[in-house]
Amino acid sequence: MKNPYNPIGAKIVKIEKISSINKLFTIKIKDEKTRNAFKFRHGQFFILSVPGFGEAPFGFCSSPAIKETFQVSVDKRGSLTSKLFELKVGTDVGIRGPYGNGFNRKKIKSRDLVLVAGGCGLSPLRTIIQDANLNPKNFQNIQVFYGCRNSKLLAFKSDYKKWSKNIEMNLTVDTPDKAWKNSVGVVTNLLTSETIKSDSVAILVGPPVMYKFVIQKLVELGLSNEDIYISLERRMHCGIGVCQHCALVGGKYICTDGPLFSYAEIKDTPEGI
Amino acid sequence: MTDKQLQDLVSYLIKNKYRVHSHKEIDGEILIDEIYEGKNFELCPQRPLYSFKKFLLPPCQTMMKFKNNKTIGVKNPDTKTILLGIHFYDLKALTLLSQVFEKDPYFQKKLRNMMLIGQSPIPAKDEDYQKFEEDILEHLKFDIFLETKSNNNQKSFRIFTGSEDGQRLLDNFGYKDYEHIEYAGPVPEEGLNITQKSLIEKIFKSKGSKIWKELNKKCIDCGKCSIVCPTCFCFKISDEIKKDKIVRKREWDSCFYEEFSEVSGEHKFLDSTEDRIYNWYDHKFVRIPKEYSMPGCVNCGRCTEVCPAGIDIRKNIKRIIEEN
Ligand SMILES: Cc1cc2nc3c(=O)[nH]c(=O)nc-3n(C[C@H](O)[C@H](O)[C@H](O)COP(=O)(O)OP(=O)(O)OC[C@H]3O[C@@H](n4cnc5c(N)ncnc54)[C@H](O)[C@@H]3O)c2cc1C
Ligand code: SF4
Ligand code: SF4
Ligand code: FES
Repeated sequence: MKNPYNPIGAKIVKIEKISSINKLFTIKIKDEKTRNAFKFRHGQFFILSVPGFGEAPFGFCSSPAIKETFQVSVDKRGSLTSKLFELKVGTDVGIRGPYGNGFNRKKIKSRDLVLVAGGCGLSPLRTIIQDANLNPKNFQNIQVFYGCRNSKLLAFKSDYKKWSKNIEMNLTVDTPDKAWKNSVGVVTNLLTSETIKSDSVAILVGPPVMYKFVIQKLVELGLSNEDIYISLERRMHCGIGVCQHCALVGGKYICTDGPLFSYAEIKDTPEGI
Repeated sequence: MTDKQLQDLVSYLIKNKYRVHSHKEIDGEILIDEIYEGKNFELCPQRPLYSFKKFLLPPCQTMMKFKNNKTIGVKNPDTKTILLGIHFYDLKALTLLSQVFEKDPYFQKKLRNMMLIGQSPIPAKDEDYQKFEEDILEHLKFDIFLETKSNNNQKSFRIFTGSEDGQRLLDNFGYKDYEHIEYAGPVPEEGLNITQKSLIEKIFKSKGSKIWKELNKKCIDCGKCSIVCPTCFCFKISDEIKKDKIVRKREWDSCFYEEFSEVSGEHKFLDSTEDRIYNWYDHKFVRIPKEYSMPGCVNCGRCTEVCPAGIDIRKNIKRIIEEN
């Protein structure tokens, strides 16, 4: 019987320091056959293992079209992530996955997308953004609305110029510095009937406080509950729908049914959002 | 099978290198213990306070070991174990667990090396008994089942087998007077019964109602109920650094503990007692029935027995059914 908890051997092949609390890791699965068989979809995640420091779930943040390696953007938070920050290029880590119910493929390619991100929420959306840059023909119109507390915290800054060729980038910060030329204030302010088409599909990734206001706004702007997607975060241990840590009352698991849910799916789940 | 024959069977099992576990009264409590001789063995009709789940899902279990960042094998010795005298509702619980852990190599390996011998402690009336045999036994995972019969104060057992292993064991022991029951899978054809189905809706409807506010005040989040419950299986995985190696282990967890839903930054998604106890009932009466078409509570009464706050699950369920 296959052991679903056995990590696959992988190696850190590149580390980029993005900010004092965020690093971008490029990871390569060691065994060629396993590497070729490892395929993930937009919206999925994996569990990273560092022996001695445990395991934790992370979203993929590079395009699934890039086959040799994948990337993960990590915020330094607790014991495992702090250990990750000490690791050097070449270190072995373990991964298991991909997990989660990826984003509806047809929808993502056939509809205009509104990607709303707050704080570190941009990283899982980067799979779509990168993909759209590599294969613009596969996608319709994509708009990104990204808000942070200040400009120092913006993720993937050096990519924006490249992305802007195919994607509409809208940035906002709460507290601007002198050089800031974009919007100021919460991300909700950028969502108006002039900017958003009501038949778009929206994907929201960010802190839970952001969701309530953004969902309300998008519903006002005429998006249907089925077309508003929210990424939920919960503590996870197994990743395969058994341990109950990520359960939503009523019967959904973030690890197997999520982490992306349409607003229609979880609207009536108490404490869902 | 007579009492004496059962004792001989136990002796036979021990002689054949099985480790036999059954329950008996120890210092006023009914507890499971290893049996080392068949001579004076008597099947205890009461249920043990702690269920048999720990034999398949140990409170703490090594999943893998690492040395110098390499995985090293874990040796789990194959001990042939007999769990003797499992009540039918505990068999129900084990049947549920074997579904939940269907793809879990740790659980399944233990199950493969284990013989489950069930018992019906109460002598059944004939009509009850018919129902029992047809409706219950065929959906339970067991190897041998002892149906207690009482004739003129003379206790004896009617014997059923539920697996080929069970048949083989009795054949080898030299006992032929058994009936075989073909395992028809864990779920009866009709699935959940009406009460179980309506409970799914009623629990959901009751969210936020008075009963949960009352339980919020009463329950002290001690988690005792989840430890004794034969169907509770939540776990956590963590690493332990030992002298020369690292051990990744799986341990029982309880959704009554605050850390259960905590993510870094100290945010807890189940952040009140009300949320936590509702989540517990939701798991038993909503999530498990939805996922496995089986009830998540086998009505053993253990949680009520151990609860220091006097919370009675049967009363609460009755109330939820009446009030919603
Ligand atoms: C689907 C999903 C995708 C994620 N993607 C990313 C990502 O792309 N980048 C990123 O930086 N972070 C991501 N996170 C959050 C990340 O998992 C936590 O930051 C990480 O678990 C913290 O671990 P730690 O040991 O450093 O923290 P500690 O606080 O020391 O963690 C202690 C324990 O809590 C668990 N835990 C703590 N926080 C979380 C959490 N938020 N989610 C799940 N388990 C948690 C850990 O696994 C560990 O068992 C994601 C979480 C989920 C659920
Ligand atoms: S009665 Fe209590 S302890 Fe027994 S199965 Fe139901 S919830 Fe678990
Ligand atoms: S045993 Fe009683 S008090 Fe303790 S967690 Fe369970 S319901 Fe609450
Ligand atoms: S992480 Fe274990 S059930 Fe989702």
